[in-house]
Amino acid sequence: MKDMWLGLRAILLKDIVVELRARQVLPTMVVLGMLIVFILRMASESAAAGAGVPVMGAAALWIAFLFSGLLAQERSFAAEQQNGCIDGLLLAPLDAGTIYLAKVAANIILLTIFEAVMVPLVLMAFRLHVAGWGRLAGVLLLGNLGISSVGTLFSAAVQLTRTRGALLSIVVLVLLLPMMIPASFALLVLFGALPENVVGSGSFAFVGSFRAAVAYLLAFDAVFSVACWLLFGVVVEE
Amino acid sequence: MREAMAQDKLTGAVLSVRAVSKTFVTRPVLRGIDLIVPASEAVCLCGINGAGKSTLLRVIAGLLRPDRGSISIQGCEVRREPEKSRRQLGMISHASMVYPELTVSENLAFAARLYGVPNRAGRIEEMLTGTGLSSYRHDRAGILSRGLLQRLAIARALLHRPAVLLADEPFTGLDADATENVLTIFDRFVREGGTILMTTHDLHLGLRCCARVAVLDRGVLILDARKEEIDAPRFLADYLSYARSRR
Repeated sequence: MKDMWLGLRAILLKDIVVELRARQVLPTMVVLGMLIVFILRMASESAAAGAGVPVMGAAALWIAFLFSGLLAQERSFAAEQQNGCIDGLLLAPLDAGTIYLAKVAANIILLTIFEAVMVPLVLMAFRLHVAGWGRLAGVLLLGNLGISSVGTLFSAAVQLTRTRGALLSIVVLVLLLPMMIPASFALLVLFGALPENVVGSGSFAFVGSFRAAVAYLLAFDAVFSVACWLLFGVVVEE
Repeated sequence: MREAMAQDKLTGAVLSVRAVSKTFVTRPVLRGIDLIVPASEAVCLCGINGAGKSTLLRVIAGLLRPDRGSISIQGCEVRREPEKSRRQLGMISHASMVYPELTVSENLAFAARLYGVPNRAGRIEEMLTGTGLSSYRHDRAGILSRGLLQRLAIARALLHRPAVLLADEPFTGLDADATENVLTIFDRFVREGGTILMTTHDLHLGLRCCARVAVLDRGVLILDARKEEIDAPRFLADYLSYARSRR
C-alpha cells in the first residue's frame, strides 16, 4: 500500500511538473474552450429569449469540458511515448492500476484548473445565476471524474496501439453520451432553466429530478472508474 | 516450474530463461530459448537485425508476454510475481526512458520514488558521482548530449540496485569517451555482483566487457560459449562472414 501510494504520488507530481514546464495542454485547453463558448454565445443570440440562454450556457460548459478533456488525456500518454518513457513506467514495480489512478488524478487536476477558468467565463458570457455553488462544484466534479476515467483508459489504448486521436474522440464521446444527459439536466436545474423535478416525456423527464441526475452521475462514475481501472492492465500489456 | 526454480537455486542462476518462444502474428521471433546466467557475469547477445535480440530482452523484462516458456529473476517468476521480479531488474534500451522536461536530478528522484529507494538523496548523489553527471544535475534532460543522456539512462536503470541489467545496444551513437565511460560503469556493476545481458552489433566491445557470448539466429540460440572457449579473432571473422551471408 505504501509502495502504491509512493508510486501514485511520484507519477502525479511528475505529470504536473512536466505540464508546468512544457505548457502543452492547459493553454490549448483554455483556447479551445473559449472558442467553443464564443461560438455558442453567438448562436444563443439567435435563440429564443428566456430558457434558451441557460441551455446554451450548460451546453457550452459540457462541450468545452469534453473536448478540452479529450485533448488533455490524449497528451497524457503521448508524453509517455516520448523517449520510451512508458517502458520506464511499465518496468517499475507497480501495479498497472496504480499508473492508471495517477494518470486519472493528474487529468482531474488539469480539468479542474480548466473548469476554474471556464465556469466564471461562461457565467459572465451568458449572464447566468447559480442556485447553489456547492451543488455546482459537486456536479462539475462528478462530470470531471467520468470524463477523466473513460478518457484516460482510451488515451492509453490509442497511444500504445499507435492509433491516433480520431478513434479516441469517437469511442470516448459515444461512451460519455449517457453521462451527458443527467449532467446537462443537473446544470439546467442549477441555472434555473428546469425545475427540480420534471415530468412528461423526453430525455430530461427520463432523468426525473436533480437528485436522480446526481445519482446517475455517481453510478456512471463508479461503474466506469472501476471498469477502466481493471481494464488498464489489459490495455498496456504488449 | 518448481523443479526449474530449485535448480536455479542450486546453480546460483540469477537470470533463468527456459524454453521461451514468441510469435508475432504468424512470424516466430523466438524459438525455445534457454539461457541461464549466474551472478557477476556479463553476457553479450549477438545476432543480425531481426534475429530476436531486442524481443528476448523485452520478454525478459516482462514488457512482452512469451507464448511458451518461463523466465525467472532471482528466483521470482516474471509472469507470476511481476512486481517482485521487476524490482530486481534494470533496463537500458534504444530510448532513454527519461523525461526531457525534468532535470537530471528530478528524473532520478522520480525513478527513486517509483522503486521506493531508501535514502533517496544519498543514492541519487552516489549515482550522479558514479556516472559523472554531478555537474549536470540541474540541467534538463532534453538539452543533454547523446553520451550524457545514455549515462543518465544507466544511472536511472541502476538506481534501485537491480540484480540484473538488460542493455539493448548500449553503445549506439556514443563517441569513444562516452563508450569508455559506459564500459567502466558496466565493469563496476559486474564486479559488485551484478549480472548483465546485453545486445550489441559491436562485437569488439561486446567481447571486451562480457565473459560470455551468445549468438541468436532467426530466434534460435545457435552459440552460447564462454570467452575463453572461443578463439576471439577467428570468432569475429566467422561472425562477420555469417552476418554478410544472412543479408
